[in-house]
This record gives sequence, C-alpha cells and structure tokens, in this order.
Amino acid sequence: MEPAEAELFRLADDELVLAERYTEWQIFAPTPESDLALANIAQDEFGHARLWYDLLEDEFGYDEADLVWERDPDDFVHSTLVELETPEGDWADTVVRGYLYDVAERLRLEALEDSSYAAIADRVAKVQGEEEYHREHAQSWLDRLTASDESRERVQAAVDRLFPHALTLFVPTEHEHDIVEAGVRTRSLAELREDWLDEVVPALESLDVEVPEPGAVVRPEPLGRDGSHTDDWFALHEEFTATYHELGFDEPAELRGENA
Amino acid sequence: MNIEAVKERAGPREFSPADDLPREYREAATRMIQFHANSEVMGGYLDKEFTRMAPSLDRKLACTAKCQDEIGHAQLLYRAAESLGVKTREQMLDELQAGEGKFLNCFHYPVDSWYEAPMIDFFVDGGAMRRQATLKNTSWEPYAHAMDKVCFEEGFHVKHGEDILRELMRSSKANQERTQAAFDEWWPRILQFFGPTNDESHHDDFAQQVGLKTVSNDELRNSFLNMYVPKAEKYGLEIPEYPRIFERDDGTMAVREEDLDWDEFWTIAKNDYPGSEVQIGSRRDRQEAVAWVRESMDDWEASAGDDGRTPAGAD
Repeated sequence: MEPAEAELFRLADDELVLAERYTEWQIFAPTPESDLALANIAQDEFGHARLWYDLLEDEFGYDEADLVWERDPDDFVHSTLVELETPEGDWADTVVRGYLYDVAERLRLEALEDSSYAAIADRVAKVQGEEEYHREHAQSWLDRLTASDESRERVQAAVDRLFPHALTLFVPTEHEHDIVEAGVRTRSLAELREDWLDEVVPALESLDVEVPEPGAVVRPEPLGRDGSHTDDWFALHEEFTATYHELGFDEPAELRGENA
Repeated sequence: MNIEAVKERAGPREFSPADDLPREYREAATRMIQFHANSEVMGGYLDKEFTRMAPSLDRKLACTAKCQDEIGHAQLLYRAAESLGVKTREQMLDELQAGEGKFLNCFHYPVDSWYEAPMIDFFVDGGAMRRQATLKNTSWEPYAHAMDKVCFEEGFHVKHGEDILRELMRSSKANQERTQAAFDEWWPRILQFFGPTNDESHHDDFAQQVGLKTVSNDELRNSFLNMYVPKAEKYGLEIPEYPRIFERDDGTMAVREEDLDWDEFWTIAKNDYPGSEVQIGSRRDRQEAVAWVRESMDDWEASAGDDGRTPAGAD
C-alpha cells in the first residue's frame, strides 16, 4: 500500500466512525440547540470522510462499496476512541471524546498542510476550517461541565475511560516510516503524540480533571489502527451496513450537488 | 380586541405580538403551533432511524441533514408558539415528554425498515407540504414567517424521499414488492393524516374563522390525492383498493371515510395507541438520561455564565 493511501484510510475511517456515533445524539441531545450543534458537527465529519474516501477513489481506484459498505470490519483502521458505544445519556463522554479527538485532528491536519502529496495538502484548509468550530464547541462544553461538582465527576469518568483509547490515535502501523519518509505527513505520530499530550494534559488539569499518567496507562488490547477493534465496532458496523446488504442495489447512490 | 373583531380582521399574517388578542385566539393558535412543533420533533425520531440504515454515504448525509432541519423547524415553531404568551417552550417540551403533547398520527408508528423511508419522507412529508404551504397565509404572523423557512427546506426533503422511492422501485422485484407492502400499510395512515372531514373536527371551525387555518381538511386531502396518486403510480406503486378513492362530481378527489379506521385514529389522538407509548417513551427515557446536563447548564448560567462569557460554541 502506498504511504498516502495508508494515511488516507486513517483519516477517512476516523471521521466516518466518529460521525456515526455523533448521529446517535440527534433528537436525543439535551436541548434543541445542542442537538443542532452536534448535528452540524456530525455532518461535517461525514463530509470529511467522504472527501478523503473520494481521494482514495480518484487516486487509488477504489469505489464507495469497497471503501465503506463491503470492506471487512477488520480492515478498518480508525482509532478505538471513535468506535466506543456512548453510555446512555452520557453527554460528558461525547464532549470528552470530541475534545480529545479534535485536538489530535488539528495537529494531524497541521502536519498535512505541507504534505508532499498535493491532493491531500489541497484539501486540508477546508477541513481545518470546520474542525476549528468543533474544538470551540468541545472546549466550551468542557468549561460548562466542569463548573459544577456532579458534572465534573462525569467528565472525570469519561476521561478515565477514554484516555487509553485516545492514545491509540497515535499508534503507528507498518506504513508509518514510509509516510514520514515520503513527506506525506511532516511530523511523526510520536511527535504528534507529544504535542497532543502537551496540550490536553494541562488543559484538562486546569479544569480540575485528573489525567492518567500516559506512560502508566494500560493500553487497550485492540488498537484500532491495526484492524483490531472492540466489540462495539463490530456491532456498529453490522448495524449500519445491514440495510445496504438487504437492498442489494447495484451501487451506493451518489447525490453530489443535489441535496447532499 | 374581542373575538368578533378578530374574526372580522382575520387574514393572512394579520396578527402579531403587537396586537392585543383575546385568550381564545391565543390558545387556539398555541394548540395548533405546538402540535406542529411536536410533530417536527417526533417525525425526526423516524428520520433518525433512517440515518443509521441509509445505504450510501450521500443518503446518510441527506438523512442526517433532514433530521437536523426538523429540530430546527421545531425550534422555530416553539418560538412562534411562545410568542402567543400562553406557554413557554419548556412547558411544551415537558408536555411532550409526559405524553400530554399531541402530534401527527403518522409519527405514532415506529419504523423498522428502509422501505418505510419513502412513506415518511415522500408521502407523509408531501402531505405536510400541502398543509404547510397554506399556512404561509395563517393569521398569526410569526407562524406564517416560520412557514417560509420550513416550506423551503421541506421542498428538499420531499425530493429526497422521492429519490429514495425511485431507487427502490427501479431495483429488484423483491425490493419493489416490499416497498409496495410498506405502501399498503402506510396509505390509510397517510389519508388519515388530514384528519376527518370537516364536520367531525370541532377545532377547525374556529381556527378557520380567525384565519389560523385557511383551507379545510377535505380540500387539503383532495389536493394531496390529485398530486400524489399519479406520482405513486408513476413509480409503479398500486393504490390499494381500500380505502376507496373516488372522484366527486366537481372533479375533486375524495376518500370513503367509512373505509378508514377512525377508532385507531382517535386512540392515537389521545396518545393511547401502543406505538404512541413506544415513541413517546423512547423520547422520555432519553430526555431523562440527559436531565443532568440541563441542570448543570442552569448552574453554569447562574454562576460563571453571567459574567458575559457564555461560550457561543456551546449552543
């Protein structure tokens, strides 16, 4: 697999699966306003997933069926952070997940701005612009939820649960050396991980949230990036592909430029 | 203004919060707009199911956008209802959660397959479009104003539903048969969507006299049948034999109302149908699960929030 291709799969799969989890809040969010905000974010993430999948189609000859609908769930390489089922009513989980992801996403996109792979570099600005709003959204909710004891405890529980999975965002695959060597990404995952820790750890601590010591964290068994996943992913995958298989259409409908 | 003056002045966009309106008008308008807003929320529950099922990325995006539009419409409509000074949004949302809020009959039936997507997104929304288009001329100006935006967006929704129907009816025989089966099931519900003929609907007379409603149930259903029977047939759906549809002497279309199950309709109208409990209950459970968030927001607004740095992004 080409280095750019490997990087694109990480990008696209993260966004797709995160968006799928976000849509679970639609209609169920705490208020109509938060419902609308999260729906916006979910749509942005689906849009980004589509943008990266489109690139895989254009540059590497895949089609949507290969990439999304008929790909073996073991071949998806998203981080386990984005696939975990959200406990019912746990808005803190979604806020924390969004925050941890969005900071990592900004750093990753910055490292793709000067990608040697022009088609990636060309698309970064559009994605980055939308991700900025997502970070503001997550940050402002973090501020709110940590303002009172009860909801801060929920944030703390979410950090405890999600932090080990967030570290899988930076797990390298066998393509990592080539990705950096070819300049597809201008910073290594190890460097991005350091940058990310330098940002999220003090930020969370300033809100009186304790962050596990990264070195002491027991990494979850499935790493996501290597195709190993939690049961939550396999259940989700089966759920969202079931209708596709039931219908057996010739190909997934494309509505570009219409109402999509 | 007394009620006689209201009836005399009644016309499109005639009344606004600047007018001193009698309680009777304000209550009738609140009831109607609250019903409409609730229906947007409960309709969104069905579209949410379709988002997970959607068989392509673009369809998924269209479904999630539609679901979002519906919450946006609910937000606009609750605001238009609030402007009547009878109930707050919070009261109306609480009533919905408690099973006291009323909403469209079609949204009391849970969905479990993609074959139902065009039933909701094309036929039910198409019916809603017929009604909403006439509400641009309602006498409560904030309601009419909300309809401008709602109708614009609903136009996209109906196109999206029609495209799903077209795709299904051009695919395998098995898909066509299952789509027809879903249509057979939904068709009577959709005909009841418009409610019973005028004489049975006691709120209607008053609502028409004060200009809240500008078109009768019967006229709306006629207009729907004229438009949607040919569309259904165009895509290869057969109109079920019952309930019988017929053409009146004046060329308008009507349904033999004795063929429809009005007991079920009135049970639904009281939120007593088994599906009502499923739909309302799923909303109630989820809203209770996030009650802690609303409480923490209240705390925030009572303390840090009032220093003027309420984060814009958190809405």
